[in-house]
Amino acid sequence: MIETQSVAADALPDTCAALVQERRARLVVMTGTDERERGRGFGLYYVFALPSGALVSIEAQIDPARPEFPSVTRVVPAAHWYEREVKDLLGIEPRGHPDPRRLVLHDDWPHGLHPLRKDFDGRRTVARDPHPHGPITGVRGDGVIEVPVGPIHAGIIEPGHFRFGGVGELVFQLEARLFYTHRGIEKAAEGASVERVLFLAERICGACSLSNAVAYSQAIEAIADRHPGRRTRLIRSVLLELERLYNHVGDIANLCAGAALQLAVYQGGVLKERLQELNAEVAGHRYLFGVACPGGVRRDLDAAAQECIRRETGAIESEFRSYVDALLQTESFMERLVGTGVLEHDLADELGAVGVAARASGVARDVRASQPYAGLRPGMVTPVLRTEGDVRARMLVRVDEAFASFGLVNDLLRELAEVAPTELVTPIGPLPPDRWALGMVESPRGENVHHVMTGAAGEITRYRVRSASYNWALVPFAVAGNLLPDFPLINKSFELCYACLDR
Amino acid sequence: MNEVLASVGVSFAQLGLLVALAPGLSGLIKRMKAVLQGRKGPPLLQSYFDLVKLLRKDAVVSEHATVIFRWAPAVYAGCFATAALLVPVLWWRAPLAGWGDAIALVGLFALARFALALAGLDTGSAFGGMGSSREVAVAALAEPALLLALFAVARRSGGTDLSSASGFFVAQGVAAVAPSQLLALAAMVIVVIAETGRVPADNPDTHLELTMIHEGMLLEYSGRPLGILLWASLLKQIVLFSLVAALFFPFGIAAAPSEIPAALGGFALKLIVLALLMSLVESSSAKLRILRVPELLGAACALAMLALVAEVVVR
Repeated sequence: MIETQSVAADALPDTCAALVQERRARLVVMTGTDERERGRGFGLYYVFALPSGALVSIEAQIDPARPEFPSVTRVVPAAHWYEREVKDLLGIEPRGHPDPRRLVLHDDWPHGLHPLRKDFDGRRTVARDPHPHGPITGVRGDGVIEVPVGPIHAGIIEPGHFRFGGVGELVFQLEARLFYTHRGIEKAAEGASVERVLFLAERICGACSLSNAVAYSQAIEAIADRHPGRRTRLIRSVLLELERLYNHVGDIANLCAGAALQLAVYQGGVLKERLQELNAEVAGHRYLFGVACPGGVRRDLDAAAQECIRRETGAIESEFRSYVDALLQTESFMERLVGTGVLEHDLADELGAVGVAARASGVARDVRASQPYAGLRPGMVTPVLRTEGDVRARMLVRVDEAFASFGLVNDLLRELAEVAPTELVTPIGPLPPDRWALGMVESPRGENVHHVMTGAAGEITRYRVRSASYNWALVPFAVAGNLLPDFPLINKSFELCYACLDR
Repeated sequence: MNEVLASVGVSFAQLGLLVALAPGLSGLIKRMKAVLQGRKGPPLLQSYFDLVKLLRKDAVVSEHATVIFRWAPAVYAGCFATAALLVPVLWWRAPLAGWGDAIALVGLFALARFALALAGLDTGSAFGGMGSSREVAVAALAEPALLLALFAVARRSGGTDLSSASGFFVAQGVAAVAPSQLLALAAMVIVVIAETGRVPADNPDTHLELTMIHEGMLLEYSGRPLGILLWASLLKQIVLFSLVAALFFPFGIAAAPSEIPAALGGFALKLIVLALLMSLVESSSAKLRILRVPELLGAACALAMLALVAEVVVR
């Protein structure tokens, strides 16, 4: 199903560039592996998606004696973070990378120690350098001030360090240092059972737990070639849309906090709470944990649950409509959003933006439309697009997608009512050896890609998660040229997750 | 000798009243905002609990802090304690009437701001510096607006003295209402919003350091100094409210000793009305983009200037 091309490492940039230029492919994910135990070298898998939705994988083996390869980033900028990750975690040097600083491992991590190499024991404790040199380059010049923010913040959020450089209130440059609480989830998954990795996948990030569980399950199902039935897939899609709804509604409410529009923060918070209570009612968990599993779902949506969803979403939709109408008429608020935090279309496109941020800048990327999965049929979802790329556009994309999701939930429920109850879980059985597959899900934040590989005995030998929060790489571009106190607003309009990076 | 004692007693009584009521007023505004936003909100007395907690705690002081950082809370609190004695509250004549007029009042505000802005810069923290620079930028327009509005009102009684003005309004009653006063009131409301760090100029409830103005300057403070600064900020708020009450809603202010209980009730009522006004403004508007805050205060300046012109021309 996936077209693969094995090339020599030196041919990577040309092959990838040709794919992008001639077949209009876009880079979906790049995964590095350590295959030395199996008589090979390090593996690099650049997986692209064609406009048709078909996937193409460009694969290269790297000689372990000389672990380096020519960087693809100069011709395919979207590869920039992946190649830095491979350098940190596997110790494979991307020659000619424009930004060779560390990314995942901070400077207090000892040199020459690469946690994703198979000979690194994931349970060991590593002594850190107490006086590391930061990777921040900063801004210099007359009247330039630097404002460091974080990694510990005043609000209850995860750690991230932001260094603003500018004059007065105007920001010239932002550098974001993330990956503070790397949890080694990908390492922990190696050799673990299918169920154990599901448990890990659900805990990568609370707000898109179901998206991650489904993406992982889809990858396992593709490897085993055992696919769940129609009813199960419809249930997955219904619940995934409910996940999108509570996130989108909550994200819009949170955006109001960036402009101190307190009334709207709490009103939106009430709607989000009701959506989460609906989750708990029909799926047994406010954040939809423990619902999906490889082969199917663990819980049926019976007629009563379907009716409950229909009734509650109907009521919440009409309240959300009046909420949004009121918000759009609050000029003091909308005025703050227009022209703030613009992400240019070409930048979003080339750097591999996904999700709401991509679509608000006119880049049509929505896995639900390009690679329909679970209960979705082609044509059921049309990407919501705007072209302005500012905070307002990202808010309006969320608004329109929320309304589309309310409709989609109803369509899916109508189909579900016609499918007779069946076994909810298709047994997966032992996984076949030496396979890999991608699971792709459009989470509320965008495309989540789970890359699962099996080894010689069918065990999980590599688990790589590329979440939509890789959009973090784009935030600094949207902040430059804006006012310092507008950063929270811009940040909340992207609404990215730190934990998604701290895998 | 008795007169001196009496005047000292009156001073302490007024200062004590304002200091005691200040956290309650803040609690009331917080509760009103919460109800308007569909929340239950903190208990009315929570501001007192918070202040008492802070006053009992030790402070952590940055090793880069100098004497400025240590003395700023005292200067700041001292300024507003003095300002509290320049404003007529229950009695038409303020305890320090004759010692300072509208100019002295605005000067005390400026001195307090100067001390706190320096303290914000003192530790070299980026947020403190940002807060100071924004505070001073806002003040550059808030101070003239306040001064002009006070001039326009005080001129009715022929000078710049606030007590004379208050006495004039108490004596005249409804007959004193003039267009200049309405314009000055509009300017004063904007100034009060900006000076108390409220939406749309600032946000007193945010944890977003990058957006802070007043709170930014306080970020390095902790424990007792922080408690003193917060209490003094609340005192500033109640002084400003009292000023608006005395000059624009003078009914109920006592001119004879027997009227003092009624004046107390009237004062409480006026505080509640002003608190409600602030809660409504804060709940219905988003915060302005920082570079547009001067436009808002520019409008206050223009209104105050119009008030003064109206006052001169209409007479």
